[in-house]
Amino acid sequence: MKRLVAATCCLLVLSGCSRPHERSDLSVGKDAARTSEVNRVFERYRLVRNAAIKLLDPRPLSTVESDAVLDIDSGSFEVSQRLAQKQKQDTSAIDVTKVVTPHFSKYPLWFLAVVRDRAKGVNRIQIFERAQAADPWLLVASPETVAEIDLPELRSSGSKVTPVSPDNGKGMAMSAQAAATAYATTLGDANAPEADTVVNDSFIRQMRAAAEASTGLTGVKFAQRWTAEDVRFVLRTADGGALAFVTLLRYDTYEVKAGLTVSWPEGTPQQAFLSTGISDSGTLQYKHQVLLHLPGGNDKPRAIGQYGGVVGAVNE
Amino acid sequence: MRTRLSWVLTGLGALSAVAGLALILILGPDGRFSTGPHSVETDGIAVVTAPKVISWVDLQIDVLAEVPAQKPVFVGIGNSVDVENYVGETARLEVTGFHTPWKPKTRQVEGRPGLPGAPTALDWWRTASAGRGGATISTNLPDETVSLAILSVGDSNLSGLKVSIAYGLKGGFFKGLGLLMLGAGAILLSRLMRRGEDIWAHDEGDDEDVLYVFIDDDGVEHEISAEEAEDYEVVEVEEVVVDEAGEVADEQPDPDDEPDAAAAPEPKPTSRFASRLNALKSSVGSTFERKPKLEPDAAAAAAAAAAAAASDDEELVYLFVDEHGVEHEISADEAEKYEFIDEVVVEVDDEPDEPPAPVPAPEERVMYVFVDEDGVEHEVSEDELADFEVIDEEGDKP
Repeated sequence: MKRLVAATCCLLVLSGCSRPHERSDLSVGKDAARTSEVNRVFERYRLVRNAAIKLLDPRPLSTVESDAVLDIDSGSFEVSQRLAQKQKQDTSAIDVTKVVTPHFSKYPLWFLAVVRDRAKGVNRIQIFERAQAADPWLLVASPETVAEIDLPELRSSGSKVTPVSPDNGKGMAMSAQAAATAYATTLGDANAPEADTVVNDSFIRQMRAAAEASTGLTGVKFAQRWTAEDVRFVLRTADGGALAFVTLLRYDTYEVKAGLTVSWPEGTPQQAFLSTGISDSGTLQYKHQVLLHLPGGNDKPRAIGQYGGVVGAVNE
Repeated sequence: MRTRLSWVLTGLGALSAVAGLALILILGPDGRFSTGPHSVETDGIAVVTAPKVISWVDLQIDVLAEVPAQKPVFVGIGNSVDVENYVGETARLEVTGFHTPWKPKTRQVEGRPGLPGAPTALDWWRTASAGRGGATISTNLPDETVSLAILSVGDSNLSGLKVSIAYGLKGGFFKGLGLLMLGAGAILLSRLMRRGEDIWAHDEGDDEDVLYVFIDDDGVEHEISAEEAEDYEVVEVEEVVVDEAGEVADEQPDPDDEPDAAAAPEPKPTSRFASRLNALKSSVGSTFERKPKLEPDAAAAAAAAAAAAASDDEELVYLFVDEHGVEHEISADEAEKYEFIDEVVVEVDDEPDEPPAPVPAPEERVMYVFVDEDGVEHEVSEDELADFEVIDEEGDKP
């Protein structure tokens, strides 16, 4: 009897193994990237970035970076060139501690990776995007968190994480897009009604402190304006909230009375862009990438990481 | 129950055999079923299957695209998300339906005259190939929605395109062969089951052969069938190792082994059966004791009748002890040729043998020694001891 069962099982297994069959689920979709692909993306990114750092030329970066990251890094290259400084190449081992690849049914595709920078003691929460099938993978967001802060746990179905529409505020105090707008408004005006809808976190306090220092300059009219770009990358967290990558544009405008000049210390990015200072009026443009955590329920959003810098200046 | 199972097995075996045979005949020794070349009417730069047209998984397919005049051509299979995005804005011939072996439905999709980038520069193709005049790919269809794309490379187009396709199963021929053999085996097995042959009882291995032997009262062995052996009770199971030449190898008993009560010869005045396994390397033998309900065979009945005549319920066993002390069971007639030495009455019952009683230790022997004036020792008896003076008494000291 045992042999009969065994023989039947063998028959079924043999006939079942690798048996061609029609798929029951014909839905179109794919994971953004396989692990091997992610490794290749990182290798290529570091190779190109190090080449750009060596030359202090931001142009090669455009083949591996895009959007705010490219703007911020290009700005830092320009600063280094103007100040005749060198930047350090990244020759340490790539320490990718986490990779999250959402499932998509159409382009653009993107994935999230957490890269630990032991030298700086930070984690870079990076988003790589492939906008079109014929495009390469480009780094489009890279906010940094202190190494001690853990990312909120992401909600996943099996091995797949769930992207959230930026306008979807279900289960949260507001949508990711609304949170980005409220955050930018709060940065620009501490007394705005939106200031009560977000947490007064360390980033807001730091930006306000810098703004107050400029406002206190005698004979200088200072204005700071913040806007939020459209949010594109949002992931659902396990608590029902969301993790949103928000790009904020900051404009610091100085109107200086005749006979006065606003200048910055040697070696600063502002000094690199405005080496002669501002004698009449001028604007410094910044870009900040902020990682906003929108908790599930009615808790207020707060920034848990950021990356930014001067990307341009206008001296009139 | 067994008959029913055998018919089920026959059915499964037949199905397996037919499936195996069909695989062999359809796929052939290379495990593939080929069709083509088929002409594809297009003067565009892309022929692409729409998502969901390729719906099979684990099917091995080979695609050969040929174009005249050594034009460069590219063939690739990729996830439909990638392929659709890549050719989404390109004018193309889209295959919207397909039935094997070759029955495509197509539609012309308007769009740009060129591709957004060289297909050979993309890294998301699951499998791809490019060449002049032709290109071929071979892949196992994955468990995801994929699309096949045949694309021109450079400034050429796909006019004059011919496509050949081969469908297959990896190792299909041998899988078919395996199914055929499995089916044949199952059918054979089911026949054995219906004939009532005991095919399940002995799991020791296929190379073991069981020989059932009945030993009558005269010590004569009779070979019996397995069915006949079932009517008897197993008295003894022997394992006999037979070498390659078929000779029984000498078994060297382990001196450290405890005596095996079950294997020891039993002095029961009953007919006995012995079975032996006769195998190339090892065999197992069984000794059977007849069940009371069974009729003995003629020889055993005669012997039993003779024994019954000699003594009501007692049967006599004659033993000849040779000069080496080895006992040989002999018949009553043979016993008349020998001198009668001793008669031992053995009580036989169905109870298990009593464990052997411990052998009492030999009594301590006292030796009396007379030492003469020359210091020579002489052993003396206890009676002679009274004539001597006891000087010393030594105990055995280990």
